[in-house]
Amino acid sequence: MSTFRLVAAAGLFAAALLGATSVGAQGQDPPAGDAAHGRVVFLKEACFTCHGRSGQGGAYNGPAPVLAQTALPLEGFRAQIRNPVNDMPAYSDAVLSDKDIADIYAFVRSLPGPRSPKDIPILNN
Amino acid sequence: MSKGRNASSRRNFLKSAGLVGAAAATAVTPPVAADAAPAAPLSKKALPPGPRQIAAETMPPANDPVNQSSSGGDFMVDVLKTLDIDYLAINCASSYRGLHEAVVNHGGNTKPEIITCVHEDIAVHMGQGYAKIEGKPIAMACHGVVGLQHATMAIYNAWCDRVPVLVFGGNIMEADKRAPGAEWVHAGVDIGQIVREFTKWDDQPASLQHFGESVVRAYKIACTPPMGPVFIALDGELQENPIPDRKALRIPKYEPVIPPQGDAAALAEAAKLLVNAQNPVILCDRVARTPEGMANLVALAEALQCPVIDNRGRMNFPSRHPLNQSFRRALIGQADVILAIEMNDLWGSLTHFHDRIVRASNPATKPGAKIITLGVRDLYLKSNYQDFGRWQDVDLDIAGDGEASLPVLTDAVLRASDAGRKAAFAERGKKLAAAHQATVEHAKGEATIGWDASPITTARMCAEVYNQIKDEDWSLVGTAIQLNWMHRLWDIKKPYQWNGVSGGSGVGYNLPASIGAALANKKHGRFTVAFGGDGDFMFSPGALWTAAHHNIPILYIVHNNRAYHQEYMYLTAMAARHGRGVDRMDIGTTLKEPNIDYATVGRGMGAHGEGPITDPKDLAPALTRAIAAVKAGGPAVVDVVTDPR
Repeated sequence: MSTFRLVAAAGLFAAALLGATSVGAQGQDPPAGDAAHGRVVFLKEACFTCHGRSGQGGAYNGPAPVLAQTALPLEGFRAQIRNPVNDMPAYSDAVLSDKDIADIYAFVRSLPGPRSPKDIPILNN
Repeated sequence: MSKGRNASSRRNFLKSAGLVGAAAATAVTPPVAADAAPAAPLSKKALPPGPRQIAAETMPPANDPVNQSSSGGDFMVDVLKTLDIDYLAINCASSYRGLHEAVVNHGGNTKPEIITCVHEDIAVHMGQGYAKIEGKPIAMACHGVVGLQHATMAIYNAWCDRVPVLVFGGNIMEADKRAPGAEWVHAGVDIGQIVREFTKWDDQPASLQHFGESVVRAYKIACTPPMGPVFIALDGELQENPIPDRKALRIPKYEPVIPPQGDAAALAEAAKLLVNAQNPVILCDRVARTPEGMANLVALAEALQCPVIDNRGRMNFPSRHPLNQSFRRALIGQADVILAIEMNDLWGSLTHFHDRIVRASNPATKPGAKIITLGVRDLYLKSNYQDFGRWQDVDLDIAGDGEASLPVLTDAVLRASDAGRKAAFAERGKKLAAAHQATVEHAKGEATIGWDASPITTARMCAEVYNQIKDEDWSLVGTAIQLNWMHRLWDIKKPYQWNGVSGGSGVGYNLPASIGAALANKKHGRFTVAFGGDGDFMFSPGALWTAAHHNIPILYIVHNNRAYHQEYMYLTAMAARHGRGVDRMDIGTTLKEPNIDYATVGRGMGAHGEGPITDPKDLAPALTRAIAAVKAGGPAVVDVVTDPR
């Protein structure tokens, strides 16, 4: 399967998540989930396979968006998991409970987001 | 063709022409009649052998000579030399022993020089990587139907990648010449049939003159765009028998085909559409086939100040050129005119396809967008294998080699651009340059996430490597599935700094093809670096032995995520679809328990080995040591335990 076809196909998913940052999580209450348990579920249920263990993003059939410090609200985050746009697999409550999702959300919100590249000299070659 | 025991076979007829007569030598010892010697007295001691016994044990029978002064293999080597073929990559085999010996002794093991491989797949993949750097094919030889079947995946990759490779396969055409056993099971009536659906041409020459003409023809076909692999069966008799009359054989003259340019009027029409477009986009895949290709594409893009989305089948466009918008594919949806050059699977690039329960798709282009295609790929297709992709409607379809046609198109664009359009282009160029820079900065920011994590992020792996090779005359010749940080972060701008991917997505390409590319780079003194997945590595780790044996310098970074990770994700999607067992999808998709130690594997093949590296702080010093080993003239493997993507 053409990598570039896949990239093109999944691009909208990335755009959907990244675009959702405009609605933002700013001003929300801190996530109520259990970040430590969320990390366990994040790894066990294979979220890391596309989004990376650090929530740095990756690729499935196309770019899989950064989740560290996601600006999606919890409801949007859950909606994407339950009924995703494009190629992300849907996780039903048989696989992930709402509590698991809340815990994962707390985990990814706890992950450090991007730093300034200027702090890492070799990124400025 | 069956011949009777007493028939004058072709082999024996030919032998009569060039053999040093061992039978004649036997004639100096007259046969001894059975009754000529007196009966010896019986003795308990062994008697010395008599003349008859000596003759029987030491002299070959008449008409079975044991020496010859020439062989068809010598002529075959003479043909290869006229084609300036640098190497013959082989896994040695009796079915082409005649050619092999002639390459070494008649040809002096130069032009071609033997490259010893431990699998035919490695030999052909090396040729694919070599051709994409050097711009010309090398030759490979396979052992009859068994070796050719080993080579098929690599030949298919070369076919899909439109790369010229010249593959030979030993065979013994005449059934009555085959020894019992292996020569029968390794022979075929038509061994080219095995690869006919994914080669441009094949033949099974029945004479040396036929061989000469077929090889020159095959070479020419392979190197004519659209390029591709070709196959020639080598009859054992032709290779091994004496040449009846060398003077009667003629080596045909090779003259390369001048690649076809697109029709001038059609190119002018394309130029008009591009000049008048508000948001044109150039899409490209396998455009550059010589160092001029990239310069030609840059000239067109700059004339229009038009974004270029590069699918990276070749080194088409510099990664840091302000018009490189390859990571902004949404531009396709805004384009009113799209010029697609030498594209593979154009439909796939212009469509959103959804890998869901219902496999739906919708155009990525906006309604009314004009699509122009320029290329030769579709001029040569086969039926069975579906590498041509889905049908794509287009508005102007120009048959012509992309690289050769670009200067004509650029001239037409310049002529069609008035001052008003040039001003508009300049404004567009400024916006695109700003967007490109923002994309680069965004990539750098994303690269920082998980910077100190273990397993090591792929971004850090790529950044650490670039930091240490950036001042070398480097050539990047391999990557793993979905690993594109190099194109996001590195300044890739010279024609040999990238050479594309496998073509057929056949796993096992990356390591041997990278070593083939490194073989080409070696003569130019370039520093070769490649990344490759761990799953890919395990298909043909023996390629490293070839690199060590032939002193081929290459820094090979194993992107070790301990899985066939793309499949791991696909399987997870299947389980999620069913609402079951997502946490069990490592079964059959991962490479752990035990973990594979690639550095040790590399050392076992004679390469320098570093790793497994799990702490990112250990990566830089390991790379420094590995680079020193590469500069000393050999291969080095760095096993980096990474996050999946």
